[in-house]
Amino acid sequence: MTDDETAPAADTQPISLDLLVILRHPPHGSSWLREGVDVALVAAAFGQAVGLLFQGDGVFALVEGQGAGPLGQKGTHAQLAMLEMYDIERLWVSASALRARGLTLADLALPALALEADEIDHLVHAQPRTLLF
Amino acid sequence: MMLHLLNRSPQFDGIYWDLSEAFGAEDHLLLIEDACYAALPAAAASLAAFGGRVSVLSEDAASRGLLDRLSDGVTVVDMAGFVALTATFPRSLSWF
Amino acid sequence: MTTMARTITVEGLEIGLDPEGYLVSLADWTPAVAEALASEEGRELSAAHWEVLTLLRDFYQRYEAAPAMRPLVKVVRQALGEEKGSSIYLMRLFPESPAKVGARLAGLPKPTNCL
Repeated sequence: MTDDETAPAADTQPISLDLLVILRHPPHGSSWLREGVDVALVAAAFGQAVGLLFQGDGVFALVEGQGAGPLGQKGTHAQLAMLEMYDIERLWVSASALRARGLTLADLALPALALEADEIDHLVHAQPRTLLF
Repeated sequence: MMLHLLNRSPQFDGIYWDLSEAFGAEDHLLLIEDACYAALPAAAASLAAFGGRVSVLSEDAASRGLLDRLSDGVTVVDMAGFVALTATFPRSLSWF
Repeated sequence: MTTMARTITVEGLEIGLDPEGYLVSLADWTPAVAEALASEEGRELSAAHWEVLTLLRDFYQRYEAAPAMRPLVKVVRQALGEEKGSSIYLMRLFPESPAKVGARLAGLPKPTNCL
């Protein structure tokens, strides 16, 4: 996976989407992540331009090699793999969140763009609507 | 310009970090509910990233017995002040 | 999780349906079940229907969810080309709501991201 090829060159002049969803919770463990992705999918199904920003433990949502829980509980990896079918192609991750967790873009299952703090500030401020999960 | 509302105690330091990444130069942070504990002098480090542009909701601080213990660097606003802040900032974002 | 509202008999087996006509147990699905559900609604399944139903089942296999209309159009376009990958074509095949009718006949749960 390369980050530059598929990710939009949008970090210097942030594009304005209809909706930015910030995901801060890891998969399994709680339903925060699933609910946030569901909101993004519904908005996209109605033709809204949607982007996702993964911060904090939310970056674990993108880690490659996830599966169902020990009791067969659905994870969120299949749901996230479905994003491209809903034309949700703008995925950003906090660079510091990756670093703090010993991860790099190469550990992620989907192409994403890593943003430093000032770029996250610009991204968030360029959006008319932001929802946090 | 954005008003950020935070309701988590500083023991959840991850959310303070995530918020700081999204915090712009003209933004303001309002501490409500359990986030009032971040306004104690001992928790000053958790607010270091916000450049002194931080307020705490007096009603929530009072109910927690914190009104006389707050850091000097944090301004105290009441409910009316809260409403005034939301009117000043065109957008707000809740962190929880 | 799903409540059974009624059953339909297919090849001697009782198949449970929920109040909206979706299978209670997804494992009950067979092509004969699809045919039975379709004929109940006065639809007849042609090869054109079946190629879409197969794509729907593949989609569920891969993503663990039934697609809303937009991704359904996209997946059909990717697999079957521009002409079939349109909402008009799918509306003609599955009148009313291709995403919902298609999911029901393909033995998938109701699409969650489609109101």
